[in-house]
This record gives sequence, C-alpha cells and structure tokens, in this order.
Amino acid sequence: MKNVLAVAFLILGMLATGPLAAAGDGPPLGLPPVPIPDDNPMTPEKIALGDKLFHDTRFSTTGEVSCATCHEKEKAFTDSPLKTSEGIDKLTGTRNAPTVLNAAYMTSQFWDGRSPSLEDQALHPFTNPVEMGLKNHQPILDIVRSDPEYVAAFEQVFGIEGREATMDEVTKAIAAFERTQVYGNSPFDRYYYLNDTRALTEQQVRGLDIFINQGRCVSCHVIEQTQALFTDNRFHNIGVGINDIQGDIPELAHAFLEADYTLEEVDVQVLGDARTSELGRFAVVRAFNDIGAFKTPTLRNIDLTAPYMHDGSIATLREVVEHYNNGGVTNEGDPVNDFLGGGIRPLDLSEEQIDDLVAFMEALTSDELQPPAGNQEVTQ
Amino acid sequence: MSSRSTISRRRFLKAAGMAAGAGLLPVSSVRLSFADEKKDFTFAYISDAHIQHIRGTKFVRNWDRGLIRAVAETNLMVPEPDFVMFGGDLAQLGTKPELDHGAEMLSKLKHKTYCVMGEHDYYLDLGEHWSKLFGPQYYSFDHKGVHFVVLNSILTFDEWTHERWPSAEQRMLEMAGLDNPNGSPFMVGEKQRDWLKQDLAAVPTTTPVVVFSHSPIQKIYKGWNFWTEDAEEVQALLKPYASATVLYGHVHQIQYNQIGNIAFQSVMATAWPWPYPESYAHAEMDWPVMTVPMNRADPFFERDATGWQTVDLMKGRTGLNYTLYNNTARTVKFCTKTGRPRDVSYQDESARIPPQMHY
Amino acid sequence: MWKKYAGIAVVVVILTVAAASVWVHTDEFTGEDLQRWNKEYQSVVAYGRELWVSAELGNNGVSCAQCHPNGANTHPETYPKFQQQLGKVVALRDMINWCLRNPLEGDPLELDSAEMIAIEAYLMTERKGVAIAPGKH
Repeated sequence: MKNVLAVAFLILGMLATGPLAAAGDGPPLGLPPVPIPDDNPMTPEKIALGDKLFHDTRFSTTGEVSCATCHEKEKAFTDSPLKTSEGIDKLTGTRNAPTVLNAAYMTSQFWDGRSPSLEDQALHPFTNPVEMGLKNHQPILDIVRSDPEYVAAFEQVFGIEGREATMDEVTKAIAAFERTQVYGNSPFDRYYYLNDTRALTEQQVRGLDIFINQGRCVSCHVIEQTQALFTDNRFHNIGVGINDIQGDIPELAHAFLEADYTLEEVDVQVLGDARTSELGRFAVVRAFNDIGAFKTPTLRNIDLTAPYMHDGSIATLREVVEHYNNGGVTNEGDPVNDFLGGGIRPLDLSEEQIDDLVAFMEALTSDELQPPAGNQEVTQ
Repeated sequence: MSSRSTISRRRFLKAAGMAAGAGLLPVSSVRLSFADEKKDFTFAYISDAHIQHIRGTKFVRNWDRGLIRAVAETNLMVPEPDFVMFGGDLAQLGTKPELDHGAEMLSKLKHKTYCVMGEHDYYLDLGEHWSKLFGPQYYSFDHKGVHFVVLNSILTFDEWTHERWPSAEQRMLEMAGLDNPNGSPFMVGEKQRDWLKQDLAAVPTTTPVVVFSHSPIQKIYKGWNFWTEDAEEVQALLKPYASATVLYGHVHQIQYNQIGNIAFQSVMATAWPWPYPESYAHAEMDWPVMTVPMNRADPFFERDATGWQTVDLMKGRTGLNYTLYNNTARTVKFCTKTGRPRDVSYQDESARIPPQMHY
Repeated sequence: MWKKYAGIAVVVVILTVAAASVWVHTDEFTGEDLQRWNKEYQSVVAYGRELWVSAELGNNGVSCAQCHPNGANTHPETYPKFQQQLGKVVALRDMINWCLRNPLEGDPLELDSAEMIAIEAYLMTERKGVAIAPGKH
C-alpha cells in the first residue's frame, strides 16, 4: 500500500512537470518517434486543451465521469486495482481500462481494435451507456461552445470560432494530449540499447533470456534490434475469459453474423454483456481468425497497471505467466478453447523461471515512473 | 433467403473493408444467378490433418489443434454448408491410433462428411482401417445438379506397393517423406480409370463435374510427388464436359490452374504449410503460373498458412474461400471472362503485397 | 680447399632440399586432395540430411523435412539477418535452434556441435548456386 502511494505521488510529480516527449528531445530511449497524423500536429496549447478536456467531468450525464475517471494519471492512466471500469452511477462494463501510456504507438485502439485512431477512440466512451452515458455528443458541444475558457482555447488552437467547435476538434485535442504520454527509458532499455550491463539484475537478465526463448514472449510482445514496442499491434486468442463460455460461442457468434452491427452498436454490445465481450475482435470483423482475440497490450510499465487481461481477471504478473505456462488456461488441466491462437502452448517453465520472467517485466517500468528507491533519473 | 444474405454480405464487406488485413472470411456464400437459383450451394472442405502419434495417448499437439479449430469453425458457418469434404491425409503414418483420433475429432462435425483417401492414410495397411471408418476409397454422388467424383489418386506401381519393402511400416515411412528419393509417383490406375469411364457414361456433358482427389491430377513437381502419373488419361475422361473441376489436397498450399476445360484448385492443410516447389533451388518443374502464392507464414504462429476452406458452387463452377490464420483471407474462383480460376484480390501483379512476393 | 667447397655444397644441397620440401607443402594440393576433401564434406552433408529427416531431433517426433522438404524455405543464403522470432539480427544456427525449440518442442544444439555444422552444410548444399542475400527478410 505504501508502495502504491509512493508511486502515485512520484508519478503525479513527474507528470506535473510537463509532457516528456517535448519537441526536440527525441523519442524516449527504446521507442521510435511518436506517429503524428498530418492533420493533427502537436502544439503546447493543443496539448493543454486536450488535458483539460480529458479531465472534464461535465461531459457525462451525472457530471462525475471524465476520461480521467478510468484513466488516472496517478495510476499510470488506468483505474487500477479495478478489474473492469466503473462509469456513471458506478455502472460496470466488461473490460479493463487500458493505459494511455504509449497508446500513441498502437495502430488501433480498444482491446478489440474497433477504433482506428486515438482521435476516433475518444468519441465512443462519451456515448456508451455504462461509461459517460450521453445519448449523443451534443452536450459536449454545448459546453465547449459556451464556456469562455474553451471558446478562447479552441479559437487559439484551431483558428475557428468557438461557436463552431465540433467533435473533430475536441477529439484532436484529446489525442494530442495522449500522444505526449510516451515513456521508454526503463532499466531494460538501458541494458539492451545502451549496453549498461548493471541496469538489470542477474535474475532479470535470466528473465530476458526466457522472454526471448523458452517463454516465447517476444513474437507478440515485440523487442527489436533498435526499439521495443512490446506489442505487435495484432489480435490473439490466448484463452482468457473465453474458456468459461466455450459452449456459448456458436450462439454468440451467430448473433453477430446475423445481426450485422455498426461499429457504434458493437461498442455498446461488447461493453454491455460479459459473454459477448469474450468474442473479442470477432465482434468487429466477423472473421473466424479472430474469435476470442484481443489486442496485444504493451508490456511497458506493466508493473503499474494491474490487474491484467481484457477483463482484468488476472491479478498479478506471476499469475499471468502461469496462465501462459499452462498453455492458455488459468488452471492447469482445464480444457483449451478450440479457437486458441497458434502462438500459445504449454511452456514447461520452472517456478524459478517464472519468477525470473516476472522480475524481468518489473524492469520495464520507465525510470520517470519508478518509485523513489533504486535507480532513476529525476527530470525537472 | 438469397436477397437477405446478399445485403448482409455487402454491409459485411463494408465493415470488413475497415479491417483490412485482419484475416477476413466471407462466411456467407456468394449467390450468383444460375439457371435455377436453388442450385447454388456451399460446402466446407477440410484437408491434410496429419494427426501424428508420439506414444501412448500423446499426439503432436500442433496438428491436433489445427483439425480441432477447423472442425469448430466449420460448425459455426452461417449459412450452414450442405456437407463437408475431408481431403485426405487424416493420419501421418496411417496407424490405427492416428486414424481413430482423427476420426474422433471429425465426428464433432454437425454435417454429413465425405472422405478422400490420402497416401498417409493408405500405405500402412492399404486402406483397411480407413475403409472401416469411412467407407469406399472411390465413389461418386450427385448433389443439386452437380456430379461429384471421389478418386483414390495416391496409388502407385504394384511392385513398389507389394514387393519392394520388407514391412508395411517401412513402406509407409518411405512414402511419408515428401522429398524421399525412394518414393514412387502417385496414380489413379487403370482399374479406377475404367470405373470412372463407366461412371461418367451416365453423366451428360452439360452436367458440371467436380472431382475430389488427393494428388493433383497434374504433373507439377515429381520430386515432391506433386504429381499424378496418369494425369493425362484422367484429364481425357473429363474433356467432354462443359464444366469440369478438380479439387485436390496433398500440397498444403494455394495452387490453381486451368488445363483445357478443367479448372484445378488445391485446398489448404490444417496441419502445416509446404513451400512452393519453385523455392527449391534444384527443382525442375512445371509450375501453374497463374497461382498467386499464399502469404508467407510466421512459424511462431502454428496456424499461420494452415487453414480450411468453403467451396461455393456457382453455375457449376467452384470458388474457394480460404480461411488463413494471422493472414488475409483469400478467395480464388472461376472467372467466366478469362475462363480460368482467379484470385479475386491479388491476381494483378500490381495488387500483390510483400508476403506474397517476399519468400 | 675442396673441403670448403664441399661444405658449401652440402649447405646448398640441404637448403635446396629444404626449400624444395617447403615449396611442395605450401599452397599446393592435387586433384586427388580436392576429391578427398569433397568426400569428407559430403559425408558431413549426408549426416546433416540424416538429421534433417530424423524424428529424433526434437521431442515430438516431428522432423525438419516435414515442413522443409529438401531444406526449402529455410533461406540459408539470407543470414545473418533480423529474425523477427528472436527480435534481433542472428545467424542461421540461431534460427535452427529456434526451430528445434519451437515446432520440434526440443532442446537447442550447441552452436559448435557436429550436428549443427552438419545441418548447416546440408542446407547450404541444397541451396548451392543461389546468390547470397544477407539481411533479406
């Protein structure tokens, strides 16, 4: 508990000093330059506007929920330790809030990739019944077009009349803010890319070897010669959640194949029903390839974002490794689901190897986000 | 029924267009007009499972998972397929445990299933146990105006089959190695060709004919037995037909070709992919040049470049929709304009993507 | 007097013989040597082929030849290269070990083992004549 508070205070302190991917500094160690769309260049004013919008609880039916409700700075932009997020009136959805940290490097957003960009992603929680609950985006527009601070800000940032602000500008600003939340520069990065052999403990070095070899992690949680996103931006069924509803899959799949939902309808369906949520990417593209498949999250800062998996069902990193070690089932010997991804198989890791792998993943926390004890570079 | 599925398909394709590269499978069948619309239909085709026994109750997990997945997905098909074909090589070394384990997995299919003999099923006991499980090794049936023929096209010379090897196990091992120089070319053989001639005598030349075979009924690459020794004789028997198609397994890759009036299309394996013969530096072969290669696989993902397919019969011609894991789905169907099978997305050189060119 | 010349003659003879011996043993090999050495190489290639089709290399009875008949699609001429499955630039033998661990569910070979060099020799021989293309994906 003390550790969590220490982490929270440090993160708050660090983040308060301003965006870390400041222009001219280059990307963080271990990461490539942040992809920025041509139609949404970064400016300090836009970022500040996005920050404000991100934290504005007025954009919900109860006036109590903002993006930050589930993506809190102090909690590495998640709502750890909640398994699934709570929206208006504490209504729960079906999925664990992904971190915004390094989301800028994802080629699609949400666990099922139903949103092609940060800009598009920002539209959906506002109108989801269990998140902000709005019927449409008009209440947001009403506020930003009348609140004098917003009116001035939109004019300055986008060169438009405050009255004419649209969700296009709103989401662009939010996305720009999110693009500043990129963090590399972890002990792993210093070890791997700066050849600082003291940056990892012996156990973590063993863990890295397991990550690449026996653990079979690196193919999805990508490390490359000069950078490491720790995600392949693809979708895989790894046997979480779906194992419990195997008998229901024909019924659920048929419902989607026959109903032919729009993306907005998919958004409501998958967050509204836990069984439907297990279809994963299949609900979006209706391809057999993707039954029960979810996007590979980045492992950067993973130690800060418990609990794990799309449904928050795995509490600790150790249990995550055990799930993989069992070959895609949480309890060894459970039946494997028929649609299990081809990359998942039993790993035969020993208890010690599992500990090593967990220790390695703890080395993926960016120095800027580390708790005070240990090695960090404090930026002012 | 048909108009509803046409509308669904359009909206599905629109949504799918947003998810390019995510591994699409058009699960509804394509309905084009036929003389009698009721006669368009779809069936599923699973092939080359290669269930491999290690010892005791242990089988190679990778191949098991491939067949399990294909069966589970076939059972999800909307609309449902008219029937399922299993294209041969259910077992790896033709043993009873392998055939039984494979048959058990196939038994989960909800639909009527027909089976084709493969060499890996045959050369241990010459099809004895297989026949107990699945019935005759060659036969024909009619369905919605199409005449279907199933051949056992993996036979070989009598001397090799009955006299060359000291034991059945040895014989099976020799035939099991694709690149084994001690192997022997596949053939349909005189007995079956005579039977086929008789069988086709009753079939008008206007009736579409579809032949299921394990070997290609073509001479592609002898070194890997992508070969049927009496291909020309069998093709000659199909020559009179306005629409003739051969669907074959064995090659574990996407291939398609047109020889005269006969369209040839291969089906994927659920077990593992094979390289294209042109990737073997020392191969001399006659490659079906119109084939756009399947996308190159990442061997980390065991299901990559494996798969199964649905076959649409439209005007008696076949269109194959390949499910490919971790990969963009492919559709190859007969194009009436060019008179040959064509990949609907990638046939033009300019449409190719790196995983098809960069092997 | 002749003794001096004899001494010099002996030295000259010795030097000539020595020079001749050195001349014969450096940088000279016969057609027979080439044949013999090629046979020795081919014996290692044959061992590599034996391993290639063997069901014993891994732990699940699968052989390399099952997926790679005649070593096709192994592309030995493209190494070293960035290997996606290992996250870095590696040599052929590193990928051989990856295959042993993964599809064959077995244990890696020592990098300097007789088996490893035999497999490499077999793969290279099957690929003879193909232009080298290091780094090609």
